Amino acid sequence: MQRLALLKRLPLLVVVGLSLSLALQGKALAQQGPQLTSVAQSKLLTDPMDAAWQKVPAADVPLTPQAGVKPALMATSVSSVKVRSVNDGASIAFLLEWQDGSEDRYASRPESFRDAAAIQFPTTGELPAICMGVRGQMVNIWHWKADWQTDIDKGFQDVPDAYPNFYKDAYPAVNVLTGTPPFRMPKDFESPEAKQFMVGWTVGNALSEPVRTSPIEDLNAIGFSTATHKAKQNVNGKGVWKDGVWRVVYTRALKVDDVDAAALTAGQEVPVAFAVWNGSNQEVGARKQTSTFLNVTVQAAGGAAALQLSPALLGGLILLLIVAGIIAFRMVEGRSRQTS
Amino acid sequence: MPKVFNWQINREMEYPYEAAPPKQQFAAVFDTNKCIACQTCSMICKNAWTSGRGQEYMLWNNVESKPYGGYPQQWDMQALSLLGPQTWEGNAYSGKTLIEAAMTGTDGRPVVGYTPDSMEWANPNLGEDEAAGLIETGTFFGMPHPVWSFYLQRVCNHCSYPACLASCPRKAIYKRQEDGIVLVDQERCRGYRECVRSCPFKKMMYNITTRVSEKCIACYPRVEQGLQPYCTVGCIGRIRVNGWIHAPQEADLENPVDFLVHGRKVALALYPQFGLMNNIYYVPPIHVPAGYLRQMFGPGVERAIEAYRRAKDDPEMLGVFMLMGATERWIEKFRVIGDDAIGYDAKGDEIARVPLKEPVHIRPNYDSSRLVFRHNTP
Ligand code: SF4
Ligand code: SF4
Repeated sequence: MQRLALLKRLPLLVVVGLSLSLALQGKALAQQGPQLTSVAQSKLLTDPMDAAWQKVPAADVPLTPQAGVKPALMATSVSSVKVRSVNDGASIAFLLEWQDGSEDRYASRPESFRDAAAIQFPTTGELPAICMGVRGQMVNIWHWKADWQTDIDKGFQDVPDAYPNFYKDAYPAVNVLTGTPPFRMPKDFESPEAKQFMVGWTVGNALSEPVRTSPIEDLNAIGFSTATHKAKQNVNGKGVWKDGVWRVVYTRALKVDDVDAAALTAGQEVPVAFAVWNGSNQEVGARKQTSTFLNVTVQAAGGAAALQLSPALLGGLILLLIVAGIIAFRMVEGRSRQTS
Repeated sequence: MPKVFNWQINREMEYPYEAAPPKQQFAAVFDTNKCIACQTCSMICKNAWTSGRGQEYMLWNNVESKPYGGYPQQWDMQALSLLGPQTWEGNAYSGKTLIEAAMTGTDGRPVVGYTPDSMEWANPNLGEDEAAGLIETGTFFGMPHPVWSFYLQRVCNHCSYPACLASCPRKAIYKRQEDGIVLVDQERCRGYRECVRSCPFKKMMYNITTRVSEKCIACYPRVEQGLQPYCTVGCIGRIRVNGWIHAPQEADLENPVDFLVHGRKVALALYPQFGLMNNIYYVPPIHVPAGYLRQMFGPGVERAIEAYRRAKDDPEMLGVFMLMGATERWIEKFRVIGDDAIGYDAKGDEIARVPLKEPVHIRPNYDSSRLVFRHNTP
């Protein structure tokens, strides 16, 4: 009887053990692979072309295509991204650097897709089970867009920029009395009568905003198709393409009064993941290459942060060992009873 | 992947979401034989919805001269060749739909498609004169088929199984429960353009200023008030009528669209083999080679043309055709009483009455009261 009960319980124990070790695998993975340190220094580097970046140790982060859900990317067009980080105790900066032969900086033709790159952090201190987060394990994404960068560098990219020979003499509520053809966004289109034809702009879609303050969108997500423009935009930066390489700097204050933002505390390790989109390969949305989570150690000013094993991980490992021990013991016991 | 039933191709097919039919489904019938390509429909739509910045190239309604004209250029030939061979067994489609074909594809896309470029959008009817030719010298280039052309009126089909919706990773496209109209949530859309690529009819368009996608909205603010869309009421040729479409077994033969599609089987969906169960129905042109029409409208096309040729002896069919363009109100039901065709609204009130045969007036060539000659205009 006893043996039967034990045999019945065995699969359950195995399942518990397996799921525990799977749950901890994410943590374990984050400990492997390239190690990244946000170097504490007196000067924050905000220019991607600043030569001082060369003195900062880089992590080469491999990227793999998102092929789990459709529309998927079946093969990478960018195989890795080089990441560096510095902080001055008040703000943190990340430099992402990757090879891309085509400088795709526009999204203002139906067929033009822009390059982009993102950094993702968990907001709960926990690694999310799925790459873009799940309910209860929200992530914070900093999404740099090459078309937004162009809007900032050269002014909002509008129809006359995409099609230089374009001419139109009037729009609803926009004519020679209100401006000069072919007119400019946003100044000639701000009246409600004119603006109502630009519905994305009227309803406040961040993609449609003609006045950009940052090339980086600060987002939250709890899974695929949930990326949401944050009420509070904390991230700024700059991207430069030169000789087949994009260099993009992301900057944010270490301390922000925002529960939806990544917690970046000096002296701590923070999980982080990266993604890159190649516009000329129609990479947009789910068609992207991503990294797994790795840790960035945010050095506290005045000394290197000691690499620590987080208490959660330690606890998890101990629990796993206990469960594995029980399973092994019961199995041995079961077998010896069978033979006896 | 869930299976859904598509009665246009008479079989189950793969679709990424379970079937969730709306309470009623927006639909229309266009009679290609009566269109004069005046483009009033295109202009009324453009004025109403797409005269803003970033929408310059957009024609949510367009009319193209077949076989060569297309907006965007050659959308139909490109979609058909991407889909590959399309075969029918009787009334059932035995080839692959656009979604089924993508399942064996290697590009990771949920729907077979392509993204048109600016130049393709820039030519709303390139080739429109190609079938005309000169009477004395014949056609200016030789083709293996006789000279013919016809006008194809195109709006979004507000498909029952939309390809645009199926491909949107953002879940920004939705089908309204109350009327089956397919819309893009302008707050949710992030301009990925998977929909632009996936819609074989190319009725999803990217706004180059707001950088999000837009499409025909079926004039939903009008539909909500019991009015037909602008393109229907503005039609000079009186070729259009809107209505709710039902599955064949639920057809209500007093409803003009059900009557033409299910009752008389005189109107057919465009390229049903795409597998979208599209809701704009066409009375096929009667003078175009059958092979071309079979590819375009499926195996029922010869029967539809036969039925259409009998319209003059079929008072009810004649009645619906006469009611086209007779009212801007949404005709829920129609009846033929005596020599009149009558349209009713949802409350059962009469909203239109037209004679089956318009009276002929013969007047003298010279109007002596006004001292002018009359011209031969109606
Ligand atoms: S016609 Fe195209 S845009 Fe319209 S519902 Fe169908 S797939 Fe979507
Ligand atoms: S308004 Fe009517 S007749 Fe004129 S092009 Fe459009 S569908 Fe044809």
